[in-house]
Amino acid sequence: MNPLTKSTTSVPIGPQAAARRSRPQVLLRKYGWSLAFLLPAAAIFLLFLWLPIMKGFVYSFYSIDFVNGNKFTGLDNYRTVLADPDVRIAIKNTLYYMFLCLIIGFWVPIVFAIAISEIKRFQGVFRVAAYLPNVIPVVVLYGLWRWLYDPVGPINASITSLWGGEGISFLSDTSWSMISLVFMETWQQFGSAMLLYLAAVLSIPRDWYEAAEIDGAGIWQRIRHITLPSLRSLILLMLVLQIIGTSQAYQSQLALLDGGPMNATLTYALLIVKYATTRLDMGTASAMGVLMFLVLGVLAMLHFRLDRKGGDAA
Amino acid sequence: MRKPTAIISCLMATTLLLSACSGSNGNNSSNSNNGNSNAGNTGGTTNTAVNEPAVNNAESTPPPEENIKDKKITISIYYPLPDQTEKRKSEDDKIARFQQEYPNVTIVKSDWHYNVDEIGVKMAANEAPTFFNTFATEAGFLVQRGWAADITELWSSYSFKDDINPTLQNQFVKDGKVYGVVQNGYSTSTVINKKLLASKNVTAPSYDWTWDDMLATAKAVADPKKGIAGIAPMGKGNEAGWNWTNFLFEAGGQIQTTNGGKVTAAFNSDAGVKALQFYQKLRWEANAIPKDWALGWGDAVGAFAQGRTAMVIAGAEGVLDQALNQGGLKPDEVATYPMPAAEAGGKHSGILGGDYLVINPNASKDEQEMAFRYITFDYFTDNYLSAVEKDIQARKADGKYYIPPQMSYFKGDSEYGKKLQAIYDKYDNVYKYDPESNKLLDGNPEAQYNTQEYYAEMTSIIQEVFAKKDVDLKAKLDAAAKNMQSKHYDAIKVQ
Repeated sequence: MNPLTKSTTSVPIGPQAAARRSRPQVLLRKYGWSLAFLLPAAAIFLLFLWLPIMKGFVYSFYSIDFVNGNKFTGLDNYRTVLADPDVRIAIKNTLYYMFLCLIIGFWVPIVFAIAISEIKRFQGVFRVAAYLPNVIPVVVLYGLWRWLYDPVGPINASITSLWGGEGISFLSDTSWSMISLVFMETWQQFGSAMLLYLAAVLSIPRDWYEAAEIDGAGIWQRIRHITLPSLRSLILLMLVLQIIGTSQAYQSQLALLDGGPMNATLTYALLIVKYATTRLDMGTASAMGVLMFLVLGVLAMLHFRLDRKGGDAA
Repeated sequence: MRKPTAIISCLMATTLLLSACSGSNGNNSSNSNNGNSNAGNTGGTTNTAVNEPAVNNAESTPPPEENIKDKKITISIYYPLPDQTEKRKSEDDKIARFQQEYPNVTIVKSDWHYNVDEIGVKMAANEAPTFFNTFATEAGFLVQRGWAADITELWSSYSFKDDINPTLQNQFVKDGKVYGVVQNGYSTSTVINKKLLASKNVTAPSYDWTWDDMLATAKAVADPKKGIAGIAPMGKGNEAGWNWTNFLFEAGGQIQTTNGGKVTAAFNSDAGVKALQFYQKLRWEANAIPKDWALGWGDAVGAFAQGRTAMVIAGAEGVLDQALNQGGLKPDEVATYPMPAAEAGGKHSGILGGDYLVINPNASKDEQEMAFRYITFDYFTDNYLSAVEKDIQARKADGKYYIPPQMSYFKGDSEYGKKLQAIYDKYDNVYKYDPESNKLLDGNPEAQYNTQEYYAEMTSIIQEVFAKKDVDLKAKLDAAAKNMQSKHYDAIKVQ
């Protein structure tokens, strides 16, 4: 190919430059509309996600004052975070909450998914029934569980009638308060995870089970050797997602107990909220957010890798 | 393929960043042309629109003085919440009357109600209405942050300023400057469910009661097995610290002292220990508080309205409204008591509280003046008297009660007060405070600095007192005081 011949047909700026300019134009013609459709989503993503994240990083080095202006304070906010004894309590509580969510709540949707998949009739009804708590407004949820946990509520009434004694202060007793929140949240949230597991269970080829049955495998053996291994990647993915989700929890801790009693339900995310809104110390709240971002970033990368692995496997 | 996509993405990102960055500054320039169209959020910008030409003209020919009534002004006002239907009706009526007198004023209704957790964000985003409600507790905080407009000039020229209740109004006067207008007030009281007392054959104590009377009454009424408490001191959120501070005052204590420009924590005194010991007695000796004691204002007042506690500590108006209008109690089944004295002959000290309206400092001078005129529009007018009467009649038709404020914005013995009282006396669905009880009220203003932080500190201690039998009260108070001192008080320099 003679480049000179090409240059005569193009603007007089040299052949390589012409080729360079024409390439984006061609691409723009080819992908212009696709990019235009991407623009709103990209704008929203940038404005409401990445810009706040970036601002959070910047704010973590400032003392934020909406009236008199911000002041650069270097690492002071990070020093405040590290010196605050409440932060240590909040980290401990968050880890405890994550642990409770794992042992109390993680297996529930798996069990329900397997159980519902085994139901031959009215499976849809059970599916909807299991998902229903998810659509309850949180105000109703908190009211309902306040009553269930009431000293004279149904749970305590059952406990005292069966075993006597004074019952349990589910919300005011520091050893029970976090556990009580986890039970409430598990009840409300297991439905959505259950649907994912159920979809995965139902996609396992039926002939595997039939073959196992012919070989004399009982229900437990079928679950152990077929269902659970088939769900392995999904379980791993859900585990990482749950760890990420529960590490940021604060809603029910704030609404029901405001982090109490005696800071027993003060989670890391709730402390960030308190720093930002109650103490109006946005700088320290941002510093806490940055530290959390770094930790969650590692988990998010793990999630991404698992997701890709799951996708490749699929 | 990657390169051009990256270039386009970068261009997009830069454009968005630039537009985002210019957005905040742009408010001033763009809104100066159309500030009137969106006064709800652009308090300060209308000013530019209205005043700028006047300033330019001033250099050549002095403009004729413009009457504020002729100016196109938009103000956003504090408007009752959707479930406060009666209050909304009254406010709509007021808006209509105001607009008759000020036809050039556009009124935007804002049902954002003050929340200590939201005000910072509202002010940062310039989204607070032209004036908003707040509480007596917030005066120091709002002034300290610069979130309340200095309305001294407007106040000085207000013709009824000398008839306003000085005790209440002074909460929003700092260093001689006025920052808010009082709507009503109260001295924190104990509201008693007399019906519950009667059902347990417990005689109601006299109004001149003491801590021992409170303890004995609470103990006698409490029936933990049925989930009935004698008293529900708040144990969750900053309300817990606020409730307890009444007892600190009764024991003769203070939250903080100011000497030589320095603020010092004072709640770790013997009075503080005594007040905490009283909480210990209520919890561990009398077993008179709810088993599930982690109750905030709404939980405790709700428990009272449901007949699950015989006593609750709060501003009486809110408690009575819930008990009578939602809980189904009758006025003679409840009684408003002053806070008990620590010992016989002592003061019935309660925290002075109230509702105030504060003008947004970001609003223009014209908007501030119009907001002030709106706030005081009904004050001392016959229109307001007839509006109140209409409200009472409407409530009567709905089988509801009208709960007047414990203290009003005007002086109790004023002519206007007497006129209003005469209206109250005409109707049996108006709750009547007992003058004998009112006589004993001893309202104490709250701490001037970092009140919410102090309440939060105290809440942790109160929760510990309710959760554990043996707590070293003095050590806890000292630690909290040290914390408050180093974190907050040391940074304050009082002028």
